[in-house]
Amino acid sequence: MLGKLALAGIKNRRRDYLVLLAGLTMSAAIFYMFANLATNRAFLKANAMVNQASIIFGFGAVLLILITIVYIMYANSFLLSMRQHDYGLFMMLGATRKRIGELVFLETLILGAVATAIGIVLGLLISQFLVGLLLDMLGLHLAHLSAFYLPAIITTAVLYVGLFILASLFNMVRLTRTTVLKLLHTDEQANQPKIHPFRQMVAAVLGVAFLGIGYWALAAIKTLQMTAIPVALVTITIGTYLLFRATLLVIIQGLRRTKWAKRHLNGFLLGQLNFRVYNYTRMLTIVSLLFAMALGAITVGSGYHRQLPMMANSIGTYTVAIHNKNAQEQKLIDQLNVEHQATYTQKRQGKVVYYNAAELQQQPFELSKSAQLAKSLKHPKFYTESLAKFKKNGIQDFDFQSLAVRQDMGFYTPKILNAKQFAKQKGTTLTVTTVRVKDLVQDQKVLKQLNHMEVKRFALPEQVTVGNYQSYEMMSGIFGGLEFMGYFLGIAFLAMLASCLMFKILSGAPGDKQRYQMLYKIGVRQNLMRHGIAKEIGILFLIPGIMGVIDVLFGLQMFKPIMSSPMSPYLGIGSIFAIFIGLYAIYYAITLTLYWRIVLPKAPTN
Amino acid sequence: MTTNTVVNVHNLEKTYGKANERQYKALKGLDFTVEAGEFVGIMGASGSGKTTLLNMLSTLDVPTKGDVVVNGHDVTKMRGNQLADFRAQEVGFIFQDFNLLESLTAEENIGLPLALKGTPSRVMDQAIHEVATTLSIADLLQKYPAELSGGQKQRVAAARAIVHHPSILMGDEPTGALDSTSARELLDLLTTINQKQHMSVLLVTHDPFSASFCQRILFIKDGQIGSEIKRGEQDRSAFYQQILNELGTFNE
Ligand SMILES: Nc1ncnc2c1ncn2[C@@H]1O[C@H](COP(=O)(O)OP(=O)(O)OP(=O)(O)O)[C@@H](O)[C@H]1O
Ligand SMILES: [Mg+2]
Repeated sequence: MLGKLALAGIKNRRRDYLVLLAGLTMSAAIFYMFANLATNRAFLKANAMVNQASIIFGFGAVLLILITIVYIMYANSFLLSMRQHDYGLFMMLGATRKRIGELVFLETLILGAVATAIGIVLGLLISQFLVGLLLDMLGLHLAHLSAFYLPAIITTAVLYVGLFILASLFNMVRLTRTTVLKLLHTDEQANQPKIHPFRQMVAAVLGVAFLGIGYWALAAIKTLQMTAIPVALVTITIGTYLLFRATLLVIIQGLRRTKWAKRHLNGFLLGQLNFRVYNYTRMLTIVSLLFAMALGAITVGSGYHRQLPMMANSIGTYTVAIHNKNAQEQKLIDQLNVEHQATYTQKRQGKVVYYNAAELQQQPFELSKSAQLAKSLKHPKFYTESLAKFKKNGIQDFDFQSLAVRQDMGFYTPKILNAKQFAKQKGTTLTVTTVRVKDLVQDQKVLKQLNHMEVKRFALPEQVTVGNYQSYEMMSGIFGGLEFMGYFLGIAFLAMLASCLMFKILSGAPGDKQRYQMLYKIGVRQNLMRHGIAKEIGILFLIPGIMGVIDVLFGLQMFKPIMSSPMSPYLGIGSIFAIFIGLYAIYYAITLTLYWRIVLPKAPTN
Repeated sequence: MTTNTVVNVHNLEKTYGKANERQYKALKGLDFTVEAGEFVGIMGASGSGKTTLLNMLSTLDVPTKGDVVVNGHDVTKMRGNQLADFRAQEVGFIFQDFNLLESLTAEENIGLPLALKGTPSRVMDQAIHEVATTLSIADLLQKYPAELSGGQKQRVAAARAIVHHPSILMGDEPTGALDSTSARELLDLLTTINQKQHMSVLLVTHDPFSASFCQRILFIKDGQIGSEIKRGEQDRSAFYQQILNELGTFNE
């Protein structure tokens, strides 16, 4: 009987349940995908060229687990807020606490189990299609990535079901311990937070100090090494929390004294925020951190993606170097958007490679200024020297030397002879054509073919002549994992943080329902209430958003050592920020719509 | 209808439930008027339709048939924002369960109707101060509802109901949750408001003692006005007795 009643209660709020289920499912799916990546040894071995990548994956996994725990906590409190009134009523009607406890336990567990099951299936499907798509978009190839991986399924299932058992126990204890009256009056008045000027000041100063330490630690990652991250994580968390505690209340209560507060619903809005913000401090802190991590991860990921070709194109003076080009290769070269091209004849004998001075005179070998000298990143300054100078300096240039590589991987010693001597000189004759394109990305396809051919045509050592294109390919391989992680974690964090916030806010909706009912009665226009709610929820979304952006701006310092000049973690962050904030805004819109639906009184009709 | 009539109800009907569902006719053709400055009580057995009537008058619900004119506004013809504005300007409410916003101080609660109108803050402070003195709650203004007793809350609610000088003050069992002393204080207050500010008061109650503060009492039975008694020149205890007698015969 009681079971039936409970089911009826769920039916009445099936849309809210759907939202909850969808959120939990998404979270499980994301976790599965990540677990799949992080625990799949074959995949890791094939791709984690850098040692750091596996550390970063591990770090990401820990973060994701922490976030999942927080997430489920908030989802659970939303569930509880929906149900406690019903259960309070059942208890008042004489249902035993034991029976209620069983019901709550079962309900939570069933919901969790269903979400986990659907989530894993969804994760499998998404891994199959979406991950491939994402990789394609990034132009990456990750070997040995299979969607189905049993250990990942087990990990996900164990973690989620375990967490839901904990949540069920928590709900059971919570419901059977709370008095019936409290359950029935969920909108119990929150204690009005009081301001203690001195404590507030101390908290603000401490908060700023902690934040400062955290930001400094990130910037000083070179000296602090791996300790920087945990240090920053702890200090920034504490700092943000203290700062929120210290300032938000003061600002709100300050605003409450102004004339502005006495217009329309402003006073009500501030009153709502006043006791909301206080309860939400912890939540807002977590969300701001997640926001920062998500945004940071995506920014770094996309930074690599966009800047790698640019960086590669400025490594050396030629994009490809082709030895003894054939007709087919010439055809491909003709398709390129060439900026500079030259062909030199080499004669190799012993440990020496001979060049013809006449050729070098006619088409001097280009040299590049070092990155520091070349201020403009996009167009590294190339220059040529007179032959006499080149004989002294330029001949030592790495790019020039690597045009002729010996079997033992050393370079032939380059020597320049005048035309007559060169003609007489004995040795194996080869030509080498250097090509630099204007835009590496644009000509990527042709370059790939060219490079492929060159590598296939020659066994070592000719293929060791590494042009910018080949460097680019190698770096993509190395950084590909990082980049992918960045996108993946970024999207996952955003999804979770925004739904954490959503559930927390929605948990307060049942209490707000009565407040808005009252406002409706005293004649507040529907529009005014809508706007009021939009502002209130908007501010709750905005606070962690702003803090998160600040965190990222400082946090990107951390990547400076890995993204050395001409790359920069700060380059082109505007568009990424815009996209990210757009996604965040979608979550805001969803939350707002749901809130309106739950809270706004419906006008009577006949 | 003279200009002195604040409420004019004609042939009011209310049927709950949609046409294809099980329907219940709560009001079956009500007629009555309230003159400006009158203190009118509405009594009746539980389920007789008192709250339903008040909801029609205050536009919280729409009648199935009939006319309701409040202070010259034809309530049944209003829509959307007009309805909200009407409630905000013409009607003051006191509910049984106080209905204060616990996130606002007493002062902010009282000021809400004025804030909605966009009253300048100086005028607002003035008005709040005045009404607070009238209801002797000046020292409670900075407190939050959670820090107030039931009687105090109800006085704050009364202050909020009259601060914007509505044309009529309505109460649905406003003394229902109060002890007898607090109830008495509130009724005295309502009388004062009625007499000093010439504000019309419409009080729904099932309690004869509360009703004895009214000048005229309408008895509702089966969704219609069953009978009506007037206090006239009697003193309150005599009127109280008359109410008891009326209830006795009325309930037979
Ligand atoms: N929303 C509704 N839907 C259907 N029937 C309703 C609704 N509201 C009230 N009723 C019915 O209309 C009748 C009148 O209800 P109303 O609340 O007006 O009574 P009341 O006189 O205020 O009673 P009480 O003194 O107990 O408050 C009741 O029989 C009630 O069951
Ligand atoms: Mg009633």
